[in-house]
Amino acid sequence: MNTAGSTNGQPIVQVDDLRTHFPIRAGVFSRTVGYVKAVDGVSFSVGAGKTLGLVGESGCGKTTVGRTMLRLIPATSGSVKYKGSDFFAHRGEELRKLRRSMQIIFQDPVSSLNPRMTVGNIIGEPIQVHGIAKAKARQELVASLLSRVGLDPSFASRYPHEFSGGQRQRIGIARALSLSPDFIVCDEPVSALDVSIQSQILNLLDDLQKERNIAYLFIAHNLAVVEHFSDDVAVMYLGRIVEKAASRELYGNPKHPYTMALLSAVPEPNPRPTRRRIVLGGEVPSPANPPTGCPFHPRCILTQQAAAEADENDTIQIMSGGAKLRVLQKCVAETPPLEQKQGADGHVAACWVAK
Amino acid sequence: MSSDPQKPLLEIANLNVAFETSRADIRPVRDVSLSIYPGQTVALVGESGCGKSVTSLSILRLIPSPPGKVLGGSIKFDGRDLLTLSEKEMRSVRGKEIAMIFQEPMTSLNPVYTIGDQIVEAVRLHQGVGTREAYEIAEESLHDVGIADPHRRIKAYPHELSGGMRQRVMIAMALSCKPRLLIADEPTTALDVTIQAQILELLRDLQQETGMAILLITHDLGVVAENADVVNVMYASRIVETASVESLFDHPRHPYTDALFRSIPRLGDESARLETIPGTVPNPARFPGGCKFHPRCARTRSLANSAPANQTVELTAVAETFRVMKRCQEEEPLPRELVPLHWAACHQTAEYDAASKTVPALDYRRPAPIEVAE
Repeated sequence: MNTAGSTNGQPIVQVDDLRTHFPIRAGVFSRTVGYVKAVDGVSFSVGAGKTLGLVGESGCGKTTVGRTMLRLIPATSGSVKYKGSDFFAHRGEELRKLRRSMQIIFQDPVSSLNPRMTVGNIIGEPIQVHGIAKAKARQELVASLLSRVGLDPSFASRYPHEFSGGQRQRIGIARALSLSPDFIVCDEPVSALDVSIQSQILNLLDDLQKERNIAYLFIAHNLAVVEHFSDDVAVMYLGRIVEKAASRELYGNPKHPYTMALLSAVPEPNPRPTRRRIVLGGEVPSPANPPTGCPFHPRCILTQQAAAEADENDTIQIMSGGAKLRVLQKCVAETPPLEQKQGADGHVAACWVAK
Repeated sequence: MSSDPQKPLLEIANLNVAFETSRADIRPVRDVSLSIYPGQTVALVGESGCGKSVTSLSILRLIPSPPGKVLGGSIKFDGRDLLTLSEKEMRSVRGKEIAMIFQEPMTSLNPVYTIGDQIVEAVRLHQGVGTREAYEIAEESLHDVGIADPHRRIKAYPHELSGGMRQRVMIAMALSCKPRLLIADEPTTALDVTIQAQILELLRDLQQETGMAILLITHDLGVVAENADVVNVMYASRIVETASVESLFDHPRHPYTDALFRSIPRLGDESARLETIPGTVPNPARFPGGCKFHPRCARTRSLANSAPANQTVELTAVAETFRVMKRCQEEEPLPRELVPLHWAACHQTAEYDAASKTVPALDYRRPAPIEVAE
């Protein structure tokens, strides 16, 4: 699993074959009748001071990846290594110490801040819990964090409702920074903000990364934001990574048909569009009952094109969204591995058809 | 459907809306003038709290009153002023002549009725047909919005459908009575990009077929660029710029529009840093005086640097102190036709003082797109 993210020495965080399955319970005795495989075998690594973007549509499991990594949701299997040591193996005091290094910024700046606590207490709480600084020193630390994220230090005595969305997101960032982490999961940090505020927050995150050499897992559904912000980008579909490459490579030379469709669907802020649009048929299938083989095959254009030229015996007819499609048999029968494709080193995609 | 394509279908003139509460007197919409011609897609763009949704709700007279109140202006639909109609007359306009779709399809559908029942309710009310015929119309409209197997789906409850499907149902319901104007308030904001592309394509196709006009309310500049003929940019209760989509994107005249365009990351844009607009979107209860954008405006700041001191004033905003042009702080600019068919409200444009004060009205439809779809 060597990717561009791990080129300068050891990665800060390495995720191997991570799986998070949620049981589906039904009936009087709440028997487990199946599993929602929200994350199903995801591997990647993030180097120090680097950003890995994780994109995908709602329900693809990108948020669950971030939360499972931080043990906010228990993993079903797989491992997360922080600086080489297995994060999932630690308990008690050791775990608490490790938690300092890995923080999270949430999407919704309203519900992620306790409305009954002052801003000073919200930011100061982690400092207190981890016994980093006492009373006076803690106040000074909070003040310096506030001014670092662009807020007035006097705001420490105010409550979250007194702030706008962008300011609350700055408070969330200050809280995440309070323990000097070297890895932060940014879960849709700007999608709830106004357009004119988004760029302020993105620039702030960028400055902090350069200043403190923080690694980010940047989870978002806005592809333009992710491209702008990330060194490497991984695209998720139904709990799996279907393509991963350096940012410029992925956007310039997408291999997986889902990535192509996703990129082409982004509306261009240009009244004379230059890109060809691939409108995907159907919807994202339920992760409780994903399609067999390649999970993307019922919506895939590449397999239909390939099937049109392939030997009849290698193809199969399927029903998708009320229409009959002819696709490659292989795409229905076997799950494609994430493998190196033609292009830059480290450009991997999970597709039987793409070269 | 026989409206004169030369005349505006909807003509809003100097609309003013207030919300009067015990704590504050809020004016979310000021002097808004906007025209929509038959078959046109007109976008109303702006950030939260700018008044775009209040404007659209006023058209259908859906502003809760009290506290809301229309202070003045007129909203002419096909020659009739909607503000003077009786509540009964208004009911025959809502849904039948002007339909609306909302951002959140889950909360705008009733969870205890099947989607068929909900469409049939509107059809029976407005078209005076029997139940059986109404179900046929409902089924047909579900088919028109691309829902597979409408005969079975018509019996589904909203929770059984995905977000994209629900939005299709909302569109089917809105279009079942063949309205002449569709107000789409952030129709795709809650949806994923691939589903957004499907829904916008559907709206374009339906518009081609029926010739309806669309008022598209959104904050997404990409959606605007690809769908609108004419764009109105709204900031802090006022329309600050009106132009054809090409003219607006090629030459934004208002510093807010300009800054907004520069601050969004674009696919394929590799510049390391995004340009930002300082400060925050102003709270409707505390709009600044003069030009409402002046505390965040880069243009007035840079002009103030080289202007004589008696034409500038010092201002403290966004935790810094700087100088702005006095005129921007004291006098509120109104939209003027700076160049033919391009209106903007900014003192600090070369054309502003000599420009004519015509009311923005733009009978423009973009050329048919070069086929880019697969």
